[in-house]
Order: sequence, then structure tokens, then C-alpha cells
Amino acid sequence: MSDSKVLMRFTGVGGQGVLLAGEIFAAAKIKTGGQGLKTATYTSQVRGGPTVVDIQLDNKEIYYPYAVDGDVDFMLSVAQMSYVLFKNGVKPGGTIVVDPNLVHPTEEDRKTWNIYEIPIITIAKEEVGNVITQSVVALAIANTMMNAIDKTALVDTMLSKVPAKVHEVNKKAYELGEKYAKEAMA
Amino acid sequence: MATREVISTGNELAATAAVDAGCKFFGGYPLTPSSEIMHVISDLLPKIGGTSIQMEDEIAGICCVIGAAMAGDRALSATSGPGVSLKAENLGLAQMTEVPLVLINVMRGGPSTGLPTRVSQGDVLQAKNPSHGDYKSITLCAGSLAECYTETVRAFNLADRFMQPVIVLLDETIGHMHGKAIIPTSEEVKAGIVPRKSFDGPADEYFPYECEADEPAVLNPMFKGYRYHFTGLHHDKHGFPTEEIETCRKLIQRLEDKVAMHEDELESYEEFMMDDADIMIVAYGSVSLAAKETIRNLRAEGIKAGLFRPITLWPSPATKMKEYADKIKDVLVVELNIGQYHSEVQRATARLDIDGLFKVNGRAISPNEIAAKVKELY
Repeated sequence: MSDSKVLMRFTGVGGQGVLLAGEIFAAAKIKTGGQGLKTATYTSQVRGGPTVVDIQLDNKEIYYPYAVDGDVDFMLSVAQMSYVLFKNGVKPGGTIVVDPNLVHPTEEDRKTWNIYEIPIITIAKEEVGNVITQSVVALAIANTMMNAIDKTALVDTMLSKVPAKVHEVNKKAYELGEKYAKEAMA
Repeated sequence: MATREVISTGNELAATAAVDAGCKFFGGYPLTPSSEIMHVISDLLPKIGGTSIQMEDEIAGICCVIGAAMAGDRALSATSGPGVSLKAENLGLAQMTEVPLVLINVMRGGPSTGLPTRVSQGDVLQAKNPSHGDYKSITLCAGSLAECYTETVRAFNLADRFMQPVIVLLDETIGHMHGKAIIPTSEEVKAGIVPRKSFDGPADEYFPYECEADEPAVLNPMFKGYRYHFTGLHHDKHGFPTEEIETCRKLIQRLEDKVAMHEDELESYEEFMMDDADIMIVAYGSVSLAAKETIRNLRAEGIKAGLFRPITLWPSPATKMKEYADKIKDVLVVELNIGQYHSEVQRATARLDIDGLFKVNGRAISPNEIAAKVKELY
């Protein structure tokens, strides 16, 4: 596991479930004895407006609740509008995961950051069979790429936050997210 | 003190605190970014025999809270700046009639509808004087997740002690951020509750507004056999309207003095790395978190900055601020408005050369911005 601070940013549009993914990350980090904090900013147009969730995981106390622009290690984006707005917060050489059906990075972007294309929403919709699980697919991708938190702790926290009847489908979403992340990095 | 670790948001913690502090009534109208307080408390209160009611508007929301408090309950409303604007007249009524209640304002951008989902600290002066007339506001400001809980508890205890509205200021960042907080157990909170004073002598000897010049009214709960009158007009010892010159003067002077002469019971602040500080940053609420991060970074570079963080904003910790400002040359007030507390720091320290870093675009002030400003001064 990583010892130092990890800054992650999930961006999308309102209603995609990125807020919950952030809460799961923070809670799992705290439960494993560290510090975790999630903050979100969104517009008054809650559904459809650009949404950004900052996730900070650290072993020392976190004061400032947002990720400082330029320091972000990892960003995941499922909306072009949000990608463009927030990509410059990622430090050069940092990792960005985009859904290639929705986000189209420029050639310049590909030189600046390590950009991986994973069709998150298609995976959730077609392979998991429930589009709502996209946030769990995203969670798995982020954790696999950043090696941020013990997988069991993260999955247990995730399951504690969703109803029992959807546990299996969310476990499947996590496994698929992990598989695609490993393939992308290979 | 017995504590517990929770993972929560500021708004959820404030709602939980109210219930733990004995609040039995919530009245309000959901307003971003405070709505989660209402969501949570409307789940919690019915389970303990309390009442949570969504009224037709903000004004009705505060009115029913005043009614519940007149009946003897600890009562809460929560809103944001635009809601406080609407509630203002009745906050004045509660000041004049000395009805204790707690109002949580989770600040967003203003004036008017402003920036509903964005952080701001633009309601600091509004909290000092939401309504017309003379009275002395008690306003507390949470600077961490844990304080969303502990300051809400303190607000209920102060409301009953001073018999007046107490405002708790959160801001969008603090209200919505989600993380770890170490808070007192509910048993600990319950053990610390001091109920408001009541009169238990014969009903014909009860004069609720006949009290010492620096003490609040003693209001027995309604429907318990003690008859008296509530009015927003200047009133006599029974609570009935009067224009008698000396009675009117004494009443308003007492509203001032019941707080002003007991500021020691209200004063609360945090000193962060102030022992050897060459630069004093004054910040409160979520901005103080950015300031702490800045100070941690600056100290690593050898710059001795410290933070003075008022927790009770009104009345301000003026004496302590002056004590520091008398020995520290560089004082920087950082806030998400255009200097609302800066003017109070100037007043308290009797210095016009206090620096300021202000922001009003709905975005947080980052540690880098504060560090750049400090280096400019240093």
C-alpha cells in the first residue's frame, strides 16, 4: 500500500454516482487506520452539470479539504465537459482514465499525462448488467491503478453502503473494473 | 471525556448533535447547502418522540420553532443565507421575547440567490445583526467536522443559558465534506445539558421579565399553569406592552448586557502554532483548514506563521486578538467575503494596517494562495 498522500479526482456530470465512490474511498481508508476525506463541488444544475469529487487519502492529518490543482495523482472522467474543466489539476505524468465513448483527449494531453481508455459505462451497462454500477467499476479501476487501499477493506466498505440485494452485482462490477484496469496497464 | 469515532459529513453531524443535545423539534424549509440537516433530523426526531416539520416557507419554519421553544422544547431550524434573510424579522422577535433557539446557517454565495452550491462566508455580518434593533448576537462557527457536532451542542446550551437565538455558522465545504470526526459520546453530551431556568413559585408571583440587569428572562414553558404575555413590543415584567421610559431603556440595555457582561462564558478560539509566530493568520470555518495546511507548509520552509481561529465569532475574542496584535506586526485575515471579519479584527486590535486576503467567486481559498500572500508580506 502507498505510504504517502494519494490525491484522486473523479469527474463526471451530476447523477452518475461519483459522490458515493468518493465516500467509499474515504471511509475505507479511515477504517484501515488512515485519514480519508471526500469533498465534492457541483453546480446548481445538479443533474447534468459538471461534478468533481476530490478524494484525499493520507496517513497524517488532512487539513485542506480539496485536492490542490496541480497535485492530483489520478483522475477518472466520464464526461467531456468535466474532463476539459478539471484535467489541468492533474500533475504532469499523472494518470487519467477516461471513458473513450464520452471523453476525447487531445494528442497534447496524451503527451502530458498517462491516459488510459476504459469504456466504464459500457462495462457497467453490458457486462455487469446495471448502469448504476459504473461508480463501482470506477472505484475498482482507481484502486487498482493507484494501489491505494487494501482491496478487501475497500470492497467491504462498498458493500456496507449498498443494499444487500445488489451485493453480487456490485462485487461483479468491482472484479470487472479491476480486470480492465490490469489489462490497460499491461 | 468519552469519545467516539464517526465517518460523516458536517451537516449530518450537526443534525445528530442537535438530537443528542435534547432537541425535540425541527422546523424549516430545505435550502442548499443545508438540506441534509433537515433530511437527517427528520429521520431521527420521530424515533424519539420529537417532531420535524417542513413548513411552507422559511418564515413559517422559524415561527414554528419559536412556538416549540415557547412550549419548552429545545428547537432547531437550519437554512442558508437567503433563508436567514427571510427569517430575520422573527429572529428579532425571539431576541425581544427572549425565546431560546438554535439556527444553523450553512453559508453559500450571496447576496440574494447567489451561488447555491458554492462555498462562501458572506453571512458573518448578517449573523451579527440579522434583524433591526439593539441586541447582542451569539454566533458560533465550526472549523472542523467534529466542531459541526460540538458547536451545535454548545449552541443549545448557550441558547438556554442566555435565552435568545444562537446561530451556528457552517459553510458549504464544512457542511458537505465527508471524513473522520472524533466527537463526544451522546451520554457525555446528555450529562452536560443544563436545562433553562424556570420559576416554580406561586403563579401570581411570577414575572418572567423581572430580572437582574445582566440576566435573561425566566420563561416557564407554556401550558404549565403560568400565564404571561409574549410581544415584540417593548414590554413590562409580565410581558405586556409598555412605553414607560425607564422600563423600555432597561429592557434593551439588559438584552445587550446579559451577553456583554458574560463574554467569558462565550469566548472560544483556537491557537495553532502561535507560540513563536511572526505572522498571525486570522481565519475561521473551512478557510482555517486551508490556513493550517499553509502554516504546515510555510513552517517547513522556515517561515513562522500561526493561526488564530475564532470559534465564537460574535461576540468576538477581541481581547485575545489585541494581545497578539500588540506583539505581532504582520496580521492577515483570510476569509471568503470582502472583509466582513477583517473590520472586526481592525476594531478589536485598534489597528488599521491589518492585511486581508478575500475571495468571493464561490471557490475555496487554496493553501497556495495564502502562502503567496504571506510571502508577499514577509
